[in-house]
Amino acid sequence: MSAAQLRTRHTGLWRRLSSRKWRRTSWFYAFIAPWLLGFVFLWIIPLVLGFLTSMTNYDGLNLANVKFLGLRNYARSLGDPDARFSFGQTLKWTALNLPAWMILSFILALILNRDVRGRGVFRTLYYLPSVIPIVALVWIWRIILDRNVGLLNAVISLFRPGTAIPWLTTHALQGLTVIAVWSGLGWGMIVFLAGLQDIPDELVAAARIDGASTLQVFRYVTLPLMTPVVFFVLINGLIGSFQQYVIPQLLTPEGTLSSVPPRSVYLSMVHVNREVFAFQRFGYGTALLWLLFVVVAALAIVVFRTSRYWVYTEAKEK
Amino acid sequence: MEKRRLNRRDFLCLSATVAAGAVAAACAPATPQIVEKEVIREVPVEKPVVVEKEKPVIVEKEVVKEVPVEKIVKETVIVEKVVEKPPEKPVAPAGPAKVVIMHFLHEFTEDHVKLFEEENPAITLEVIQAEPTRFFAMYAAGSPPDLLRVQAPSVPQYLARKMLYDLTPFFEVSDVLKLDDLAPANDYYKGYSALEIGEGPIYGMCKDFSPDCTIFVYKPLFEDAGLEVPSDTKPLAYQDIVELSAKLTKFEGDRTISFGYAYEAGWVDRFMMNMLGELGQSVYSEDFSKLVLVDNEEAYAVAKYYYDLAAEKLAQSSINPSPAGWFGNDFTQGILAMAQYGFWYGAMAESDVTAGQVIMIPGPMWAGVRRDPTLTATGMIMAADTKVPEAAWEAFEYYNAGAPAIERAKSGWGVPALKSMWGMMPSGTEYEQQKLKALQAELALETSPLQFNPFLGETTVADSWSTQLDRALQGEITFDKMLANVESEVNAAIQEGIDRIL
Repeated sequence: MSAAQLRTRHTGLWRRLSSRKWRRTSWFYAFIAPWLLGFVFLWIIPLVLGFLTSMTNYDGLNLANVKFLGLRNYARSLGDPDARFSFGQTLKWTALNLPAWMILSFILALILNRDVRGRGVFRTLYYLPSVIPIVALVWIWRIILDRNVGLLNAVISLFRPGTAIPWLTTHALQGLTVIAVWSGLGWGMIVFLAGLQDIPDELVAAARIDGASTLQVFRYVTLPLMTPVVFFVLINGLIGSFQQYVIPQLLTPEGTLSSVPPRSVYLSMVHVNREVFAFQRFGYGTALLWLLFVVVAALAIVVFRTSRYWVYTEAKEK
Repeated sequence: MEKRRLNRRDFLCLSATVAAGAVAAACAPATPQIVEKEVIREVPVEKPVVVEKEKPVIVEKEVVKEVPVEKIVKETVIVEKVVEKPPEKPVAPAGPAKVVIMHFLHEFTEDHVKLFEEENPAITLEVIQAEPTRFFAMYAAGSPPDLLRVQAPSVPQYLARKMLYDLTPFFEVSDVLKLDDLAPANDYYKGYSALEIGEGPIYGMCKDFSPDCTIFVYKPLFEDAGLEVPSDTKPLAYQDIVELSAKLTKFEGDRTISFGYAYEAGWVDRFMMNMLGELGQSVYSEDFSKLVLVDNEEAYAVAKYYYDLAAEKLAQSSINPSPAGWFGNDFTQGILAMAQYGFWYGAMAESDVTAGQVIMIPGPMWAGVRRDPTLTATGMIMAADTKVPEAAWEAFEYYNAGAPAIERAKSGWGVPALKSMWGMMPSGTEYEQQKLKALQAELALETSPLQFNPFLGETTVADSWSTQLDRALQGEITFDKMLANVESEVNAAIQEGIDRIL
């Protein structure tokens, strides 16, 4: 390469580097770099390591003689009766919790969206459970739902003396639903409320002028316009239900993280925790988590795919 | 020449490559070793025996080969990790050292650290909260805490995995921690091997302990039931507890108004081991490769005992849970007649409700033989991989013989691990004197330690028991099926443990 060619090349490079576009691009990447590095180191690498762990017999302490098991941990889950049972309970719990939570949150949002006196106070009150630490929240409910000295059984005992319904053991699934719905109501209400406040008044007014009743306004104006919010809440609720762990764990008779929750709330995450920490099966526990991820992802995809039939978007109307 | 612009895709590829490189570099050893030493040890033992008491003749073959740096591939199979031995005569650290201690922060307090650092300016202590996940992460990263808070059931497993530093030489020359001053409960930290706990090299010691089978009695509930308060000198039989609990547990309709008896459900396997210990038996097979409950008549009877207590609501369980979440609180609220806990609980057994009405009685007997070991022996060990053994020993001595140990001894929350400190236990009140009297009888038994299974986690058996018991109590399975399930779950875990550890 001649000196002239080299000079031309350097000049070209310098021109490129000093160009406005290049500077803008550099700044763009400089600004996103912290997030990108965080994403790589805190998400991608742990995920890869987690996946590798799921194919080993790692127990937390045997790094020196860890064995590669291939897909055996995944195959094992198929023959694990507790894995099947816990998955079934998780589905039951999701079917119970998700509709109850969404419907009640929506109704609450509809009520508190009305122009009533003191609605700010009510909004705050209903949101309050969402900011109470979960441990305190569960203990409040334990006082209410305890078999022997709980308030609920005490009230029922006024009519039927000696009532001792085991809300936190035999009926723990129902107990868990009540606690989870109550504690999540505030968040759901706020999201629905935001959606409701986004509905243009003109549309409602137009419907009224056309003679629509309150129910018809709700059915043909409010509900369609709220479907994107319902979709968002549904996806979040679905993922949250499958990840539920803390409340069942705190419902154990001892209420500690090392005890076993009642059988009726033996959810998938509880089973994973037990396999990892009580049985020292880090590899198998991680495989169960990956399977759970696949199930949640599949359900989320189903919701996404079906959303075109029930989620209203302006783009579709064009 | 074709010009190539850096587009977003290139940038992401480059970032990922740089990140992967950085990770690979971080994971690599700081200095690459050119010479690889392969040591093959032939130990004439059979699974699952971990190490023979009498050391076998070890045939060592050393293969030294030179490998170019760029061709180093991890191909060495470490047959047996050799534990670094402490120096013959331990000396104080020459230079500044930092000791990392994983402990409960309310037990190894900031004040303790401050006092130690004032006395030992060359040593810095970093106390971090004891937490399994963090411990596993630190261990995996090759930097475990130098000192670790542990409980006795973990000791055999850590010993089998060569995770413990042999502290015998330190103890032998220590001015404050003398081997002959150690209470028998410290035997949990001694062992020739993971399967022979009780004698041999010492790897740690208790911070304090209690004979854990004693029972705290709340007298008014006995009086209300028209029963005589049990003697604090004559031990009950386990069967007596069933009969007493049946009379002491009060129901109103389906509700339980007061409870007769409660024990620590998380220790159920330890209680069973102690009960079988009276007969010279164990819940495990001789080589610890199996949990045997179904085929061992005595073990079956012990298991049935605990099942019946729960099924008949004579002890707290998932179908008759503690209203306070912990039976210790039920006792102090005056709604529990008998709480089976060690001496340590005595420090809190008296509340505004129960004050002046509590006594501690001896541990019960299953087969007529008195045994009352500590079931936890909570204490401290030093990691085999510590880089600062001398400095860590200074901290170990301080915590177990210095100001923190004296503070603990005077508090009454357990029996001091050093016999020379036993006189420091509180004895001012009638209640304290009664506890001490009952305690002395239990200590005099000098019960041998329980041999825990080195291939299992600390809570595996109790966890399995608790899960299957709940199923049985809910009517999902029978007692026999429950027992078979526990056996099968635990035995699978034992086999996996053997595969991982040996």
